[in-house]
Amino acid sequence: MKSKKQKRQGDFQKVQLKVGKKKPKADNATNVNFKSKAIHLPEQLKHADSGPTTNRQLDIKDLLSKLHHVNSNIKQGALVGLRELLSGQPTLIELHASAVLSEVAALFTDKDGSVRAAAVRLLRFIAQCIPPERVAPFFPLLSAHLTCAMTHISEAIQEDALRVLDVLLEHYPGLLSQRHTVLLTNFLELISQKRKSGTGQDKAGKGAFSLTISTNRKVTAQQWRLTVLLRLGSFLQAVVEERPLEEGVISRIGLGMWAGEKGSVTPVDVSWEEHAFGKGKIQVFENSGAVPSPHSAYRLRPDSKAGGGMNKELCSAETVQGFAGTLVPLLLEIWVEAAGGDSVQTDSDHLLSAEAMALMFQILTILQLLRRLTPQRDQQDILDAWFRNSYLTDFKHHFMKNFPYGLREVARHKKKADGKRIRQQVAAGTVAGTNVEPLALNVTLCQVMVTLSLRGQDHIEAEDADWLGPIRVFIRETLSNGGKLSLKHLAALLEVVWRMIVTQRSRVVTDDLLQAVFVQYQQRNLAVSVRTLLLRFFSRLYIQEQQNHPHIARSRILACWLASLPVQLVQLGSRNPQLSAQLLETIHPAAARGNKDLLQSLQKNACSIYDPQEGCVVVLPVESQKRLVQILHFLPAFPAELLACLSQVCNTGRVSASLATMLIRSVHLRSPLSGCSSSLQDVPVKDVDYLSFFFTTLTGFSSEMLRALQDTDEDGLLPSSTLSPLSVFATTLEQFLHHWDIVEEVCHCLNTLGSRAQCFDVIQNAINKNLCGLVVVPDCVCAAILRCVPRLLDVNFLPSDTLLHFLSDCCLSMLNLLLQLEQSARKRDAVWEACFAALSTVPRLLRLVLQSFHVFDLCEEELPVLAQILSLLLQHTQLRNHMMANASLLQHIIQDLTHFYGGETREQWLTDLLYCYSVTLSGHRTNMGMRDIY
Amino acid sequence: MSAPVEVVLSADSAGQLFNCAVFDPHSGSEFLSYRGGNTSSRSLTVLNGEYILGAQLGKNFINVWEIQRKDQLQQKIVCPGIVTCLSASPDGLYVLAGIAEAIYLWEMSTGNLLAILSRHYQDVSCIRFTDDSSHFVSGGKDNLALIWNLSSVVQLDSSRTPEPRHILSRHSLPITDIHCGLMGPQARVATASLDQTVKVWEISSGEMLLSVLFDVGIMSVTLDPCEYFLFCGGSDGNIFQVSLCSTSLSRDKTFQTDSDGNQVFKGHRNLVTCLSVSMDGTLLLSGSNDETVRMWDVQSKQCIWSINHKGPVTNAAIIPAPANMFLADSHPAVPLPRFSRHLNPSEQGDTTGSGGVCLRLGANTQVPEGTYLEKADELYSLMCAVTDKVSGEVHHCCQDSIITVSRILARLSRRRSFV
Repeated sequence: MKSKKQKRQGDFQKVQLKVGKKKPKADNATNVNFKSKAIHLPEQLKHADSGPTTNRQLDIKDLLSKLHHVNSNIKQGALVGLRELLSGQPTLIELHASAVLSEVAALFTDKDGSVRAAAVRLLRFIAQCIPPERVAPFFPLLSAHLTCAMTHISEAIQEDALRVLDVLLEHYPGLLSQRHTVLLTNFLELISQKRKSGTGQDKAGKGAFSLTISTNRKVTAQQWRLTVLLRLGSFLQAVVEERPLEEGVISRIGLGMWAGEKGSVTPVDVSWEEHAFGKGKIQVFENSGAVPSPHSAYRLRPDSKAGGGMNKELCSAETVQGFAGTLVPLLLEIWVEAAGGDSVQTDSDHLLSAEAMALMFQILTILQLLRRLTPQRDQQDILDAWFRNSYLTDFKHHFMKNFPYGLREVARHKKKADGKRIRQQVAAGTVAGTNVEPLALNVTLCQVMVTLSLRGQDHIEAEDADWLGPIRVFIRETLSNGGKLSLKHLAALLEVVWRMIVTQRSRVVTDDLLQAVFVQYQQRNLAVSVRTLLLRFFSRLYIQEQQNHPHIARSRILACWLASLPVQLVQLGSRNPQLSAQLLETIHPAAARGNKDLLQSLQKNACSIYDPQEGCVVVLPVESQKRLVQILHFLPAFPAELLACLSQVCNTGRVSASLATMLIRSVHLRSPLSGCSSSLQDVPVKDVDYLSFFFTTLTGFSSEMLRALQDTDEDGLLPSSTLSPLSVFATTLEQFLHHWDIVEEVCHCLNTLGSRAQCFDVIQNAINKNLCGLVVVPDCVCAAILRCVPRLLDVNFLPSDTLLHFLSDCCLSMLNLLLQLEQSARKRDAVWEACFAALSTVPRLLRLVLQSFHVFDLCEEELPVLAQILSLLLQHTQLRNHMMANASLLQHIIQDLTHFYGGETREQWLTDLLYCYSVTLSGHRTNMGMRDIY
Repeated sequence: MSAPVEVVLSADSAGQLFNCAVFDPHSGSEFLSYRGGNTSSRSLTVLNGEYILGAQLGKNFINVWEIQRKDQLQQKIVCPGIVTCLSASPDGLYVLAGIAEAIYLWEMSTGNLLAILSRHYQDVSCIRFTDDSSHFVSGGKDNLALIWNLSSVVQLDSSRTPEPRHILSRHSLPITDIHCGLMGPQARVATASLDQTVKVWEISSGEMLLSVLFDVGIMSVTLDPCEYFLFCGGSDGNIFQVSLCSTSLSRDKTFQTDSDGNQVFKGHRNLVTCLSVSMDGTLLLSGSNDETVRMWDVQSKQCIWSINHKGPVTNAAIIPAPANMFLADSHPAVPLPRFSRHLNPSEQGDTTGSGGVCLRLGANTQVPEGTYLEKADELYSLMCAVTDKVSGEVHHCCQDSIITVSRILARLSRRRSFV
């Protein structure tokens, strides 16, 4: 019983909970004493084609769809996201260009400013990545949205539209310029509004638009106009520059005006050697076969192809006139406001604030661009005439009233206001155009005004004098006040000068302006580009316009400039080859045209230009050297000193052999001896000088050099001996070969002279007098004499004994030298050729040579040399007959040789000699008849 | 013996035997010679097949012979200066002479001096006409060659100075010779110069087509009639042959090696001053300062014959034989007028009253009645009247035919409706 009760108690024992004691743990309590790790999933599984996303897990589709959201913050966020996405994945741009561009373009007209700003930023980024040809298909859309934004009723949107325009102008000027029809009117509407028809009738001549002034913009009306005009200017610039150039129209404006021109047919250019050896095949008829080339000036029928498309519209004068008719009155109004708003004090009307100046500068730039819109010359003339008729009085009244303009000094206390203004300008985005120099403004004004002056009519010139006068004064002062001008301003000024000279046709004006330019030209330390520009200006003026305008041809300054050219060439030396080439480009045609001033100056400086040591002809590059040699042809006279210089130039080896032969030829052609120049009254080259020039060139050494050579004791000297009666000075291989080429040409020229006997007589005397007494002779001189004499020798003329002896000495020395030359085959060939020609052609020479072999005077070592020379002569078949004639002499020498040698063993050389001798004699025996002749 | 088709006309500067002489192109035998004076280079020309004109060397007149009266100098035309070159137009209407740096243009029918063109800066060395006389090319010692349109030069009023159509300014030394190809205004011109180049240009556009650079200055140039070859006479006596249409597809050229030898005519010892090719392109004539005239076979490049002159040869050309040359009793159709020495003879007061009426378009018209425009109007109205008449008749015919056609169509449609 008890146990049962105890058991029951045990089962249902009540746990006493007491205050302060811990509650005992329940038996079934879960042990939470373990640790676990979480599985972290950073991303959800994605489909394979969903593409990359931004940091906010948005892909391109999401972003594009968010652009349609009502909330502007979300739109802006999406734009930022797009930019981030596209910059991370540039390939996406190509894929989604159409969607992205169309969506972004739609936001140009968004009413929230930050969204528009973001859209512009995105557009700028995209534009950097896509080339124009890829954007072209979407461009109609872009430009439609741009137009929409530009004509939007909200002014803030209009302002932002200009930024879009900036971006497009920067990256796609070509595409944008095709949309000019729409955009130009948009520009007008930005700063003006259409007059109501009634008022338009009242103010006839003021155009159909009137300027608008809105008060609720953040910027002043002037600043707003400036921003618009800036864009209009750059847009017109794009139109002008992106126009496909028409045939034969060379854009000759600004810096490019004095640059070179290029033909449209590429001519075939070959040299004779290439052609003769079959390398340069000529196919002329491909250039122009049965169909004349498209560049032909002949038009049998008008072009059926309508080229250009949309761009055609702005090419003709009429369309430009139409646009200008509305624009120019507006510009004039703006000008008046800019000028008038500033003129607080009447005495300093010409001083302008920076802002007004920028505005005026833009106006003038736009006027200039308007004129350039028509590419054809005749159209341009029509347009100029139209401008003159319609606006000359207005322009004169407004532009010229306070010319030249200056910058007003801003007083110190206004600084605060200025800071504010600058901030405003930054807000309006006009930073680029605000800092305009007064010089730029004035120069542009001159350019615009000068285009209005017409060429040719006398009565108009008188009319124009009142406003052309100040311009002339300004130009003269600007150019001649000694300041250095930047390249751009100078180019513009020169353009104005050119136009004034050509249109005004007065000698006074021409000299006045050219004097100013010349002052600028004479400044020291000009930059090379500026110097080149001035040089081109003058040379174009001389070469192009001189023929049509006698007043230019007679200009004193131009003559003075031409006369200064050779001096400059000398002074320049080798310091700037490009500039020298430029100078030569003018000197050459001027010399060809026989300009007296230039030729006189050239004649005066000829000796320093053609100086053999440091003259231009040796220090300049090959092309210029060639020109200099060609200019020689036009020199009025060749005094003896110049010929001495030229002869040295030929021989010093600093001009190439081909150029030297050209030089020799042109001296030859100028001489009356050559029979080419028919006129008898002026003799450019005197006969004495001519012959002495050729003789000096032939020898290659002047008399002083030869004299100096007699006393020297150099390494190159081969001592004289019995076998080599002259002591030979061995020249270098290059010098020898160079001289060899020249000798060839000299011989050819002398050969063509009228009387050969007289010519030979002169040369013989010269050799006798100058060379015969020499002990040391350079090898090239020997070779030259040996080559020249047989070529010039007339059959009926007997050379003198002195000459023959000298020739035999030369010949012997050369033959001796020949045996020592191993290294150069060419030199050996040349020397042998000369010796051979002399021996075979000049009578009695071979006999003299043989007679001079005194075997008993020779020492032991020289015997083999003599034997080698003899066998060389014997081996040559062409000489054999001549040897036969001297057979007894020859036999005598060989007998002496064998007798004198007397050695026990027969050396190789002796065997060779005897063999040659026997062969020659045996051939001789069979031809006994031949012997009787001699 | 039948009269030859072509003859060789040549002259030298010595003039001992004759001034100029006519030779047979095949044998080199002399037919005729004309005596008196001597002729300067590039100034011997045949006018209209009836006269030979040659400028006297170093003097200021031109010698004239009637072509059939060989020994007798017929006339001397006195010029304002020494004539450096002379050319008569192929149609025989105009004569051009280069006198110092100016070009004088005379009209042959009246002898009036029509224009003095002074666009060259130095002496004019050569003048050539195109074969249709529409253009001429002048080359000078100022390195320039100018292409002129004859009609624009002739028709301009005196207030405007005539402008050349093109200025060829790529030579860098004086121009020595010019050759004009065939085909009138579409011809090609070859110019030779001392700057060692020969350049080929197009008259119509003034563009350079080809420039060949040689080792020597080139004194004379010519093209064969087909313009396959360019022949260039060098100052060293060689004549170079440049092939202008070397076919790249050369089936027949495989066995022929183009070495140096077979493209040069060698034989002259001094400057080659004149070159000329016969009509069929097989013969090449060359005259040189070594006092010989040589005839070459173009194909084999061999010298066929040579004639020795007594002085440097100044002119040598193969010309079609004029009809009158071998008929001793013939007379020129038009007598040679007096050449006037001044522009606008009426103003000078020395008019001889030759009785000829000057018909020139332009300001100098001597016929006062009716301006050019009025005449044009008249002509136009006349033409309109004619065309109206014609078109009226045509219209009638058309109406008839239209009616018949419409009938046929009506019948056809009826048939269709039956089917």
